[in-house]
Parts: sequence; C-alpha cells; structure tokens
Amino acid sequence: MDDQVKEDKQVTRRSFLKMMGGLSLAGITIGLTGCSNTTTMAEQAGGDGWLPQQYQGRGNWPAQVRGRVPIDPDNPSIVRDDQKCILCGQCMEVCTRVQTVAGHYGMPMADDIICVNCGQCTLWCPTAAITERDDTQKVTQAINDPNKHVIVQTAPATRVALGEEFGLPPGTWVVGQQVAALKRLGFDAVFDTNFTADLTIMEEATELIKRVTGEINAPLPQFTSCSPGWVKFCEYFYPDLLPHMSSCKSPQQMLGAVAKTYYAKVKNIKPENIVSVSIMPCTAKKFEAQRPEMNDSAHYWHKKDIQDVDVVLTTRELARLIKQQKIDLSKLPEENYDPIMGEGTGGAIIFGATGGVMEAAVRSAYFLITKQQPPADLFNLTPVRYLEGVKEAAVEVPGVGTVKVAVCHGLSNARQVLDAVRAGNAPWHFVEFMSCPGGCINGGGQPRSSVPPSDEIRMARINSLYQADAKAPLRASHENSEILAIYEKFLQHPMSELSEELLHTSYTDRGKKINALTS
Amino acid sequence: MSKGVLVDLTKCIGCGSCSVACKMWNALPYSQTSQQQGSNLDADTWTVINRAEVKKDNEPAWRFIKYQCLHCDEPACASACFSKALKKTKEGPVVYDVSLCVGCRYCMLACPFNVPKYEWDKAFPEVRKCQMCANRVYNGDSPACVSVCPAGALTYGEHKTILAMAREKINGDGGYVKHIFGEKEAGGTSWLYISDIPFENLGFRTNVTTKPLPEYTESILGLTPAVGLSWGALLTGMYVYNRRRNEIAKEKEKPGNK
Repeated sequence: MDDQVKEDKQVTRRSFLKMMGGLSLAGITIGLTGCSNTTTMAEQAGGDGWLPQQYQGRGNWPAQVRGRVPIDPDNPSIVRDDQKCILCGQCMEVCTRVQTVAGHYGMPMADDIICVNCGQCTLWCPTAAITERDDTQKVTQAINDPNKHVIVQTAPATRVALGEEFGLPPGTWVVGQQVAALKRLGFDAVFDTNFTADLTIMEEATELIKRVTGEINAPLPQFTSCSPGWVKFCEYFYPDLLPHMSSCKSPQQMLGAVAKTYYAKVKNIKPENIVSVSIMPCTAKKFEAQRPEMNDSAHYWHKKDIQDVDVVLTTRELARLIKQQKIDLSKLPEENYDPIMGEGTGGAIIFGATGGVMEAAVRSAYFLITKQQPPADLFNLTPVRYLEGVKEAAVEVPGVGTVKVAVCHGLSNARQVLDAVRAGNAPWHFVEFMSCPGGCINGGGQPRSSVPPSDEIRMARINSLYQADAKAPLRASHENSEILAIYEKFLQHPMSELSEELLHTSYTDRGKKINALTS
Repeated sequence: MSKGVLVDLTKCIGCGSCSVACKMWNALPYSQTSQQQGSNLDADTWTVINRAEVKKDNEPAWRFIKYQCLHCDEPACASACFSKALKKTKEGPVVYDVSLCVGCRYCMLACPFNVPKYEWDKAFPEVRKCQMCANRVYNGDSPACVSVCPAGALTYGEHKTILAMAREKINGDGGYVKHIFGEKEAGGTSWLYISDIPFENLGFRTNVTTKPLPEYTESILGLTPAVGLSWGALLTGMYVYNRRRNEIAKEKEKPGNK
C-alpha cells in the first residue's frame, strides 16, 4: 500500500510532462548544435550522387575511364547539352577508334579543338546530348521573308533515310515525298544534289584523266573530295598529301555556286536575294558551307557577303521542320524536282554509299577516254560496293590499260590507305574516301534509327540506293541532259576557266593545329 | 595522410567531363550559363573549365583551366569562420557543415581565390563550394572529377607524392615553367597546378601571399591575452591607487583629525 502511494507521487501527470519537455528541449538543443551527428564531417560532406559504374574505383585504381570528346562551343556542326550527358564515353569511343581523331594528336594543343565535324558522335550518343547545331530557324526566317528566293537541294542519301523519322522501315525510298514536303514547307525551288553529283563526276573524271596523262602536274593517286569530314581530316593529319586531293568541290558546294550564278542568270534573280539551303545527311556540310573560300558566286558577281550555300540542314532537322508543320511524310504524293538543276542519273544516286563515287566516276571516265559506252560490268562494280573497310578494283580501259582504284570509308580505314600512299606503296590511280562508315547513308546528320549505328540499317539504305540506280533510265553522269545543257550554255566544258573558278577549290594546311603524339 | 590533386594544364583537352561529373555526384542543378566555357564558379557550379587564349613561342595556343576550391593547407575561410562550419579535414578537403553555419559570409571575404559562393536567392541560404568529394576521399576513392578525366590531366594521390611528381615534371624536358602553383601560394594548397605557360598569363592569381593567411590574424590576435591582462592590471592599479587616495582624503576631512 505504501509502495503504491510512493509510485503515484513519483510519476504524476505533471512531472511526466515536465520530464518529457525537458528531454525534448535537450534533444532539440543537441540536434541544433550538431552534436547528434555520429558521422564525421569528412564522411558526409559533399555529394553522394550518381556516377557511371566505369568511374567508380578505389583511389588511383585505373577505372575504365572514357570521359567524353571535347566540343568547341563555336563548333558549326555539333553542340552538346551537358544536362543530358551521362559521361558514358560512347563519343570518345567512336571518335578515337572509328574516326581516329580524338587521342590522335599530341598535347598541349594548338589553338583548335580538333574535330572533323563528321558528327558520328551524334549517332553514338545514347541520350542525344550531342546533336547537330540546329539551323532550322534560319530557314524558317528566310522562307517567311518575301524578298528572298529560297532554293533547296537534297543529297542522295537523305531520300533513303528521311522516311525512318516518320515510321517507315530503314531504307524506304521517299524521294518524291521529300520533294512534296519541301514544297509544302514553302521553298521556291527544289533541286537535286544529284545534278551536281553528276557535274562533280564530269569535273573529277576529267581531272583524273589529266593527271594520268600528265596534262596537269599533280600526283597520283587522286583522292575524292566530296566528303568534307574526310577533307578536313586530310588537312589536319595528312597535309603533305593534299596535292593528291581532287580540286573539285563537293556536289553541295557546286550546286551552291551554280545556283547563284547560272540559275540566277537564267531566272534573272539577284544573287544576293537567293537563299541557298541544302538538306544533307551530314554535319560536316555545315562546316564546309562556312569555309571562307566557298564564296565563288560573290567573286563571279564582284559582290561581297555572298556565300554559295547559306544554310545546311541535316536529315534530322528537315524531319523536325516537317513535323512542326504537322505534315505526315508517308501520306504525301510523290512530286518531282524542279528543272534546270533537278535531274540526276543512277551514278549520282549511289554517291550516297561507300564506293558509289568511284563507280560513277569509272563509268564516266571510261566514256570520256574511249568515247564509248562502258561495258555492263562497270554498271555493277561489286568489288567497291558494301561495307568492307578498304576495297580495291582494277578496270580495263582501252587505250589506257588497267586503272586501279581503291575505296575506303571510316577514317580509321582511311589511315591505312593514306599511310600506304605516304610510304609510296600505293598502286592506285584513284581513291575514294568517305568520312563515315558506310558512306553518306550513315552520315552524322541521318536519323538515329539505331544507336549506335548498325550494319543492318546501313545495308538497308545502301541497297535502296543501288536498287534505284539499277532502275534509273540514265546511269552515267555524262548522259544527264541538264549537265549537257549547263556545259553548253554556261560552263563550256569540264575544267574550263569558268568551271575552275566556280567548281574547284583549294585546301588549307591544318597540320600546324596538330601537335605530334609523344610517348 | 593528406591527399591532393595535381592538374597538368598541358594535358587538358577541354572536354568538361570533370564539371559534368561534379554536377552528377553533388546533384547540382544546371544553369544555362554553366555549360559555356568562360563561366565562373557559382553556388551550383563548383568546378569550371575556362579557355585561356594565349601565345606560346609566338604561336596562338589554347589552354583549358580547371578551377575549383584549391583546399588550402591552412584555409583562410576556416580561420575566419567563428562557428567552425568550415574545417580542414586531415584527409585534405576543406569541408562545410551547414548545421553550424550562421551565414555571416566571412569565409567569402577571407578566401584569396574567391571560391566560396552564397545562395543569394534562397530563403535559407548556404555557402557552397567544392568539397573535394570528401566522402569519396574518406572512403579511399578519388574525387568525382578526377575519376572521369579521360586526358590524364588530373592525378590524385598523397600530397607528398604528387608534389614530388610535379617537381620531377617541371624539372624534366616537358617545357614546363618552373613553378608549381599551389606549392607555396597561400601557404600551400591541396590542389597543385603545373603548366607550360606562365600562370599569370592564364588568369591565375599569382600575387597571393605565400604566408598562410591565418598567420596574419594570429600574429595580431595572439596579442589578445597580453593586451587584456596588462590593460586589466593597469586599470586595477589605477583603481587601487584612487581608492587609497580617497581614503586618505576622507581621513583628513574627519573633524576629529584636525
């Protein structure tokens, strides 16, 4: 009984509340002063966020460090959004191993972040952190300006890939729908880069013949110059071999130059009012169009501030423009390119695939030398087709003998050929280089139908081009009636003085930007 | 025991992997400007890469400067912090404890490298800066930025080891300037830089004192006890003297003493 009373006295309601209040006060005080932290500051300071697995390691244990490629904020071709970057290292992987650019120059660097603008990293980046620099605004602005005559050209490779952005299977042939879409977007004239691909062949084959016969003093083998990524690669890493480079501009730049001269004259439009847009599978074309020497139409008219090609859009940007206008490409009727610069042959179509430029050049070179139609096997030059890294072929040409050619794609493969040429072990007369593996059909501006790019999709697009070539009514560049017309009315003949002025170019030695690799 | 990082500026390719890794590991939000080379540190950007366009042998050259807290051996910020929110750990990092911070921002004034930043736009702001991934370092791992560098520009290790490595490099034939930034600056820092271009051309603050900054305050504030004691003694003496004088005066005024 006594105990009971004692206990009641000890824990009264009031004393319990007092005790709890005191404890909480003490707890809060301890908490506020930080005394309750059992961990030390070093254990808890800084983040404990997420880093990809390959960068997790103990101390200096060599983790599988990949990092990412440097991209100049002023790069005309590609941009990167840091917010999307997960440091997976895929860009580094493709740039180092496939294109042999990153890691293939010595440090410290000169005043240039070495980049050939090929854009393969945009195809490998799994989060699309690296993308093409978006120039669609410039095009929309030009189209909305009533004083501007906006023309557009489409590269051979976009017509077998654009459909993929609209749910069509890889390689679907959408040339007519693409023209229809461009007309609905408001372009004043839609031209085909195939037209100037044929023009390139006429010039490049003529140049090759002149090199072989010794009429111009330039070394053999002659290198193709259609791929601006490859051209910049050669300027950086093999400047000593630049004399081998064909002086021909790429088809894009040829069309730009003749659009603001020949077309402007025929249509009686002031060249400064023409806005020349091109739809390309390529990010390097954005860089190429900005090269300061690509303003031959300005020289022609003795005017300033005219660039042959004003805006370059990749296939992906075109798809974006079309989607913005709520146009479903797959439901469009097929329409035709506009005349004057809208005709292309089968030889031009296959420019989009590795080996295509070579095959087209061989067809027309044969004709230009012998004045005869080439034999049937030259229209199916299988040794230079498809995805083997370095391909070779030998072609019998009456009066000349055996013409040896080589084809390579992907810049690591180009190095093999270039090293052989440097060492004097090159048996070839003519070598085709394409920067991107598979050629333009897998260019850095093409739809990301598989990430990273797969051979399955490359082959679907390549086969589509060769099928179109096989079905084409005209298959050799010298048969193109609009080509014959432009030579007759304007350029006179291949490598004429005017052709040299408008269609040929020179190259920049960028060897100084590359410091030798040490160790 | 104390760790450090050696930055070899000749090797940096300017990819910015380090700044992305920092954002990831510290879960820092991105701002539009933080992606551009040439931006400054801010409350959510603890490391940046800036491009310095300079000349080398009369040829133009670019160098990429990684910048972050240098983690001084005797940090002025920690010395200025009266609430002990900033502390130099024995592993090397200078770390921040938000629960102790009163928000006075003395650390920002004290830092000779202008590193600590304040969250001016927050209702309960914190002081923010690189903490050298102190928890990673504590657990034997390198800071996040070092772990992702694909160019080999960042080397993490014992402070002594990397200092020896830096000495060996600048005395070799790599064309380095004979200066290890951070060896003596502000009394020495955990992060060390070597370069082939003089540091003053790259925007480094090279006129910083080589004396540890806390020493300046210590040399003055160290006098406090002596000043306090002697002042006290003086006043006490005067008090005792005055009291005694008053007592004597009072004694004299007493009528019985006449």
